[in-house]
Order: sequence, then structure tokens, then C-alpha cells
Amino acid sequence: MAPSKKISLSEEDLVLALKSRETIAIQALYDMYSGALLGVISRIVPQQEIAEDLLQETFVKIWNSAEQYDASKGRLFTWMMNIARNLAIDKVRSKDFRNTSKNQDIENNVDFIDAQSRVTFNADILGLKDLVTALKPEFKLVLDMVYFRGYTHVEAAEELDLPLGTVKTRIRMAIMELRKNFN
Amino acid sequence: MEEVRAYIESGILELYVLGQLSAEEQREVEDMAAKYAQIKEEITAIEIAMETYAISNAVLPSEGLDLKILSAIESLKAPEEIPSPPSAITEKTVTKSVQTPLYPKANDSRIRSLKIALAACAALLLISLVALYSAHHELSKVQNQILALNRQNQSFAATVSYMKQNTADLQKLADMPADPNWKTVKLAGTKMDPAAKMVVYWHTTGKHVMVDNSKMALPANDQSHQYQLWALVNGKPVDLGVFDVKPDTAHILINMKEISGAQAFAVTLEKRGGSVSPTMNQMIVMGGVSI
Repeated sequence: MAPSKKISLSEEDLVLALKSRETIAIQALYDMYSGALLGVISRIVPQQEIAEDLLQETFVKIWNSAEQYDASKGRLFTWMMNIARNLAIDKVRSKDFRNTSKNQDIENNVDFIDAQSRVTFNADILGLKDLVTALKPEFKLVLDMVYFRGYTHVEAAEELDLPLGTVKTRIRMAIMELRKNFN
Repeated sequence: MEEVRAYIESGILELYVLGQLSAEEQREVEDMAAKYAQIKEEITAIEIAMETYAISNAVLPSEGLDLKILSAIESLKAPEEIPSPPSAITEKTVTKSVQTPLYPKANDSRIRSLKIALAACAALLLISLVALYSAHHELSKVQNQILALNRQNQSFAATVSYMKQNTADLQKLADMPADPNWKTVKLAGTKMDPAAKMVVYWHTTGKHVMVDNSKMALPANDQSHQYQLWALVNGKPVDLGVFDVKPDTAHILINMKEISGAQAFAVTLEKRGGSVSPTMNQMIVMGGVSI
């Protein structure tokens, strides 16, 4: 359980290990994806402590419902990402969260700024830093609302006062742009 | 494949990867992906792009969170296997932090479903009350209608019985000329009221005596007086009963007492109920029987 060296497994091996309930799968998943998952959670729940609790909940859920994952329907990360996002959205909508955030407005803001500053563009390592800024702002905004902040595309269209078709097109264009840059 | 390209370009695959589709639409995409390798490849490419995007937006967790999470999962695993040696200090806190959020959640959802049930009950109660009220309203409307119909029915029945009586009386009158035993006696006004007149029918063998209301021309009597019909038998008056003259009499014929032989009929105005002998100065009409 020494966190000193990062573990990285192929997707097939990961799934296999996860389904046969080997703890190493979680360790590998953590090393590979904890930052990405926490990035998603933090954009919905900015308070670091709660976000990290949610990350833990996410891994517990991944562990408990591993047998429900169907590789033919999509990649493991997409599935984990949905778990993380749904837990975060459930949290934000829960009563106890709304009650506590009422009493902690100032603290929230501090946490939020803090959370923002913790965004680590380890894209640097991957040589992807410019990509994020290269994305047209109006594309990035729509994509981030849907992908990171838990909006449905219908809600995003309402919020931005755009036709649903435009929102769909922008999502598609944004992803096309990302693919062009990543490949 | 034109169809496949159009499907890809519709943008539905992006929405699929972003988890934006309904269960039905999801199934459709999955069917298409199973059918066309090109669609499956496209989905994977989108997924990898999003994955990379998420990684490039990563937020690093605090140090030590990995240990916390790993031991949380170890402790979930523990009951199934031989308990692993207590992993450092974290064991207790971890078990707690894993389990505590679960309970309020379960409670929350139970409370939520109870709340929904309560709301549903209240809604049902409200609907029932409205239904009851409207049913009650309808019922009282129907009751009123029944009452109105009943009144109508009664008035019809009264009319019918009135008309039956009339018809029977008219039938009797119509039959009279055919029976020679029926005598029609016309009574003319005396000096008390020269304009007065009336008709009496008398069946000589059957002894029936009837007064004809329709051919009556006597002034209406008041509450304390009644007209009394007399037969003159060998010069002596015989009481044949009393009758009223009202403007709205239902019967055409009024049956009087029977008499076997009479030379004349007369009517006097007497006190209500009649007198034993006629008050001669109150005789209003009189007529002899013509044989």
C-alpha cells in the first residue's frame, strides 16, 4: 500500500482486477484518475473537504458496483466519471448540504478560490496545456457546464438562453476540437 | 455508409458519452454501436478525448487521501476474508467516515419517500373531498328534480282523476236519453231570484237523483249556508240532501238521496247541514215532473 510509486494498468487488466475484487485495482484507479475525478467533483462541490469525501464515496461505489460495469457500453473512465458526477450532484441537491452552505458562505468562497488554484494543469506533463486555452470560449463554456458542472444540455440551453440545437452543435464542435488536439 | 455518417454527425454520440441521453436513447446508441464498428470506434474516440480533457483539468487530492480510501475499501472487504492486520491509525476513523454518510442518506430517502406518500395521501384526500362534494351537489340536484317530478306527477294524477270523473259523468249524461226512465226536471227561479235555474235528473225505477252542476245557475252560497233539495211527494216536502254551489266545482253530477215517487223538486237555501223542513221564503228554484 505504499503510495510512493504510481501504479498504471491497461484498461482490460484494470477491469479484470476490479471485478475480481482486488484492491490493487483501486490503487491503480486512484493513481491514474483520482485527480481527474476530483476535478469533476470540485467543480460541482468547491469545498475541498466535502469534495474529497465525495471522492472517497466515489471509489467505494466503484468498488461496490464493479460488477455492473459493462465494458461493451463504454470505457471505464466514462463510467467512473458518471458515478463521481452523480454523487456530487446528489450532494449539492441534498438538504444537509444546502443547510450547511447557508452558514458557511464566506468559508465557501475561500474554499472555492482555493479549489480553483488547485487545478493542476498536469496537462503540462502531457504537453496539452495550450489545448485548453485553444478551445473557443463559447465552446468551452458549454462543454464545461455539461461535463464538469453537472448541467444537462437542456439546462445549459436555458441558462445561456441559446436554442437547444446550438448547444448540441457547440458540444459537438468542442469535442471535435479536443480530438483534433489530442490525436 | 451514409446512414452511419449521418448518425455520427447528428451529435448524439457526444451526448451519449456525456450521459445526457434518456435510457431509451442510450439503448438505441448501444444497439447502433453493437451493429456498426465505426460507431463504436467513434464513441471510444470521444470517450478518450473527454478522459484526456478531464485529466488536463485534474485537481490533486490532499496527501494521504489514497490511504484513507484504500483502507475504507479494505474494511469493506474485511468481513469476507480473514481480517487483515489493523492498518495503522486510520482504521477506526475510516470505518466511521464510510459508514456515517450511508445512514443519513438511507434515512433521507426514506423520509423523502414518506413525504411523497404523505403528499400523495393529502392529494387523494383532497380529490376525494372534491368528488364527495360534487356527488353531494349532484345528489341534491337530483333530489330536487325528483320532488319536482313528484309534484308534476301528482298534479297529472289529479287532472286524470278529475277528467275520469268528468268523462264518467258525461257518459252518464250521454246515456240518459236512451233510457226512458230518466226524467229531466228543469227547475225555474222563484220570485226570490227569477234568474236562477237548475236541472235535476231522476231515475223513476232506480230512484237515483242527481243535480247537474254544469246547468246550474244559482248564486254561490256562503260558508254558513247550503242549498237543500226537496222532493214534493203528495204535497209533502222530502229532504233529498244538501249541496254547495262553488265556482270551481270538479264534478258535473252530484248524487242526492234516493226517492221513488215525486211530483215536483224544489231547492231552498238553508243553514249549513240542512233543515228538517224547508224554509219556504228561502225557496230559490222549483219545477214539476212532467210525465
